[in-house]
Amino acid sequence: MPNLNINGRNMSVEAASDTPLLWVIREQLQMTGTKFGCGAGLCGACTVHLNGEAVRSCQTSLADAVGKKITTIEGLSAKGEHPLQKAWVAEQVPQCGYCQSGQIMQAAALLSKNTNPTKEEVVAHMDGNLCRCMTYSRIQKAIMRAASDMRTASATGSERRAT
Amino acid sequence: MNKHVKNLAPETTDLSRRSFLVGTAATGLVLGYAGSGIDGALAAPAPANFEPSVWYSIAPDGLVTVTCGKADMGQHVASTMAQIVAEELGANWKDMRVQLASNDPKFNDPVLGAQITGGSWSTMMNFDAMSRAGAAGRIALTEAAAASMGVPAGELVVRASTISHPKSKKSMSFAEVVKSGKATKTFTADDLKAIKLKSADQYTMIGVSVPQLDIPLKVNGTAKYGIDVMLPGMVYGALVTPPVRYGATVKSVDDGAAKKVPGFIKAVTLDDKTTTTTGWVVAVANTYANAKKAAAALKIDYDGGPNAKLSSESLFAEAKRLQGLSDSGEFFVKDGDPNAAFGTAAKVLEAEYTTNINIHAPMEPMNATAEFKGDILHIYSGNQFATRSGAIAAGAAGIDPKFVVMHQMWLGGGFGRRLDADMMVPAVQAAKAVGKPVKVIYTRENDMTMDFSRPLTYQKVKAGVDGDGKLVALSHDVVSAWPTQRWGIPDFLSPSVDKKGPLDAFTVNGSDFFYTVPNHYVRAIKNEMAHNATPSGQLRSVAPGWTFWAVESMVDEIAHATGKDPAQLRVELLDGKGKNDGGAQRLRNTLLAAMGLAGYGTKKLPKGEGMGVACVSSQERATASWTACVAHVAVAPSGEVTVKKLTVATDVGTQVNPDGIRAQVEGAALWGMSLALFEKATLKDGGIEQTNFDSYTPLRMSQLPEVAVNVIANGEKATGVGEPAVTVVAPAIGNAVFNAVGARVRGLPITAEAVKAAMKA
Repeated sequence: MPNLNINGRNMSVEAASDTPLLWVIREQLQMTGTKFGCGAGLCGACTVHLNGEAVRSCQTSLADAVGKKITTIEGLSAKGEHPLQKAWVAEQVPQCGYCQSGQIMQAAALLSKNTNPTKEEVVAHMDGNLCRCMTYSRIQKAIMRAASDMRTASATGSERRAT
Repeated sequence: MNKHVKNLAPETTDLSRRSFLVGTAATGLVLGYAGSGIDGALAAPAPANFEPSVWYSIAPDGLVTVTCGKADMGQHVASTMAQIVAEELGANWKDMRVQLASNDPKFNDPVLGAQITGGSWSTMMNFDAMSRAGAAGRIALTEAAAASMGVPAGELVVRASTISHPKSKKSMSFAEVVKSGKATKTFTADDLKAIKLKSADQYTMIGVSVPQLDIPLKVNGTAKYGIDVMLPGMVYGALVTPPVRYGATVKSVDDGAAKKVPGFIKAVTLDDKTTTTTGWVVAVANTYANAKKAAAALKIDYDGGPNAKLSSESLFAEAKRLQGLSDSGEFFVKDGDPNAAFGTAAKVLEAEYTTNINIHAPMEPMNATAEFKGDILHIYSGNQFATRSGAIAAGAAGIDPKFVVMHQMWLGGGFGRRLDADMMVPAVQAAKAVGKPVKVIYTRENDMTMDFSRPLTYQKVKAGVDGDGKLVALSHDVVSAWPTQRWGIPDFLSPSVDKKGPLDAFTVNGSDFFYTVPNHYVRAIKNEMAHNATPSGQLRSVAPGWTFWAVESMVDEIAHATGKDPAQLRVELLDGKGKNDGGAQRLRNTLLAAMGLAGYGTKKLPKGEGMGVACVSSQERATASWTACVAHVAVAPSGEVTVKKLTVATDVGTQVNPDGIRAQVEGAALWGMSLALFEKATLKDGGIEQTNFDSYTPLRMSQLPEVAVNVIANGEKATGVGEPAVTVVAPAIGNAVFNAVGARVRGLPITAEAVKAAMKA
């Protein structure tokens, strides 16, 4: 039985190795925050992290995920307080909300490497994630807000270390 | 609102004749209309699993839970209903909670008499009832508090879930009053009517952008959509849909290869007496992945049926043929005599406007979970029309609708798609066939090719202008499938003005505009071929999404033909004479607001750029949100259109949640742009050709223009905001393209090829 490391826990699953990771996460592990949107890597609703990289879980086989660290929306932060999640609430981003787990996971991969992205970098990074409610401008604002919060936090953090 | 949607079930709707009860039940205070289930709830001796069966309840901890009978598909309507209740109740927003209603008729819309969410109707039709329910609760709580404190009720102040007596400095929280068990009161229908609601200057909650109650659930993955339902012992169904959108039949199913798929249970060929689906097969297996593998392994032989050779071209050709017949269709508007006026007009313009098939494609693909438990069929699915969908599910099961319980979920997008109930048919029949709960999930390909799409439309508009450049006659023929007629509910159809029989007003709404035109005909013509081949549905903004495309393009053409500024011509036509009094002035003001915000006509734009205007009274004459748009575009020599900015103004009367309204208006405007430029589906050999987001391509972030929204709240009654801004954008863009490069495009979507061709012409 394959073993998965998901949100910091090791869990054994029972599924054929070619099963898309998406369905393993949703059905077997019953973590339904990761959504099915297109099954073809065209919409981004199923985005999760594999070793910190944003991937489409509908296009990732179970075999490809074994031995890697998987993070889903449920594991992005312990209490749903990742700067992006807070910013998403502050900017009142979601409408129907269905795509937003994927949007947040996609954005989190960007901010983990670059907490000072330009608008163009945000658009280039996020363009594969569809939002049928068209909340794009709020998504952009929320990413910028979270990036700013992360920069402030890290500046305060280093000051504290310095003293 | 069209007259026909009233009183679908008068016995459950007429709240004006019912008393309102506030009483103590096992879980706290419950509030609702008599005969709505509250009577039973109050009489019941503290059942273990008490389910609040009323509009709202207040628990002993002071939490107020509002039960929303409207589908919440991202418009935050549950939160809006809670906000209206909270205003009059005097509750602290932090104490408000929402839950989604089942299909029990007690949760029917107080005006529509059914559970249906659409038309941008919810806020306007529930505002009064929710306000009175909130006020009744406040009065009952206040009287109980007065008795406890031993002070006159009239001296009490209610604010933020606390009832205080300023003179004695005594106060009680809602929680304390509920725990006292003394807050019981019956309001007769007359009492309720006599409650003096707050005036706008007394509002502390309405008009405030309180945080939407559903948003926290939607950033941490905990909001449960239909697709997230998990039931014990549940198995999964994957669909195989035929190559033809409608009319195919299954001749044979060979499941030999499917049987080799691990976990495969059964292939179920649907026997759909509701005629919602044709030729569908469900492969049932222990997991969805296995169900999909089994579905792919099925070998199915079809008879393509009568529509198997049809294409978008044949539907357009048929529309054109029908329009050319003098006795086609039925009249929706018949003022004066345009045909006579054309004879004496100084100038006559004629044009054809078209729109292609459009697909809803909400991000959550269609799905439903069905479970038979004893006599009861339980359906779990996000749905916009519980009243009808429950009946379809019952029809699929062969049982009476009263045995169906619909469990409402958050909707991963609706846009009108979830008014339909096709997803329930395979879930019900598969659950019946395998004797287990079944969750059926459409693939994106199923979802796109089996959409109840926005119909392909063909419109012919003829306009007559007199010697002074005044528009004196307009005739407008609208040819389309009739989506609402498909529902089979006579009350949703409208009588035609020429008494030829009922017509589907949801194909022509908007054409009865607020411009003063003395001679004006509108014919609604049903394209039977399209109706049968592409069963159509209501797509966000419905008819005004195409009627205003034609009307607002033609008004622009008239302006150019008569040498007038297109915006100025609209202002002249909105003179508020006769039946247009009131609405026309509001629309004129809205247009002027949009023009002001956009800087229309104030600066010279670079070569290849232009601004275009449009203004609309969507959704219906009686329910209009007055909306105007100025689109600023840049057109490349290749014909490619870039939208630089959309400026939208909308008069909504009263705004409950300003931030929520802005979100809806912006989303609607971007839908309008997406339909105007990027979204096109086509029929070929009876099937929809586009299958996923590579070939059907809604707007993405990189295509986002600047959007400026101006919401006008002038104290009139609250109107809807989910749809109207969709309808105003396509004509504004089309008119801007003409203004930029002189290319008139009359078909949606506006493609680079079409613009380039029109530039040469």
